[in-house]
Amino acid sequence: MIDDGSLTERKPAADLSEADLLALLRAGDDEAFEELIRRHGPQMLAVIRRYLPEESDAQDALQEALLSVFKAIERFQGDSSLATWLHRIAVNAALMRLRTRRRRPEKPIEDLLPHFSDDGHRTEPRADWSVRPDDAAQNAELRGIVRTAIDELPESYRTILLLRDIEERSTEEVADLLELSLANVKTRLHRARQALRELLDRRLGESGRPGEMMR
Amino acid sequence: MSDEHLSCGEHRHDLSCREICDFMMAYLDGELPAGELAVFQEHMSLCPPCVQYLDTYKKTIALSKQCLDKEAAADPCSNAPKPPPVPDALVKAILAARKKSP
Repeated sequence: MIDDGSLTERKPAADLSEADLLALLRAGDDEAFEELIRRHGPQMLAVIRRYLPEESDAQDALQEALLSVFKAIERFQGDSSLATWLHRIAVNAALMRLRTRRRRPEKPIEDLLPHFSDDGHRTEPRADWSVRPDDAAQNAELRGIVRTAIDELPESYRTILLLRDIEERSTEEVADLLELSLANVKTRLHRARQALRELLDRRLGESGRPGEMMR
Repeated sequence: MSDEHLSCGEHRHDLSCREICDFMMAYLDGELPAGELAVFQEHMSLCPPCVQYLDTYKKTIALSKQCLDKEAAADPCSNAPKPPPVPDALVKAILAARKKSP
């Protein structure tokens, strides 16, 4: 552990272990705060951008998140990793920003929902997806396609999809966070998934043989 | 698969594809009551387009999870691709805001 009394002899901030960084943060050390921002800020900002694609909103939310980290760091017990704790604070700051900023008009989602004939049957054939989700994470091009498609979802649907399918929060927790009924969360999640499926269907189709993207 | 094989309009289904689509999330969550589950499964046994839709619906969930987890992994020490650094001006603004905050 770092000796706070000999700060001039300590390691460069970038070389500090998480435990040493935490000790210095709790002591209110300025360099440690800057190192926290540089070390963990990029991941926090990436998470926030999922909810707030507009850069100025995302940067404001990151600032709010880190200010609350600075205030709460003494209460961090280490029950989870520092990165996990910061991730949760980043998501909460993004949701707070969504709640407090002026609501922007959303694109309708209807065009992205499945189409049926008048008697309720599917009207168009669908192409096979040759995508293997397990391999997808290794493919930057595919990650770009998925990320862009998620960004295209109307905000209120994207938020629910991110919380349920990416953050794996429960329906009850999402309903609580967004002040919606359980039924509303479920309906919107289903629509968000259908819309994302449609967007991916179009984009993977455009790539010709999407299965080859994975290899 | 040809268009002909994907057509389901000639089969007799108790539920239409539209209604089946409405049930998909409840089916995946294991929340369909027994009677509706049986109808759902019967429809799926007769309707390749719905089978394919369900498959791609599931892949959509898995893909988004895999891709976004990898894109912004919680652990900065992992082998995941690193997101770009926080802009210097923003780092300075946050540090300045911290000094001003009570």
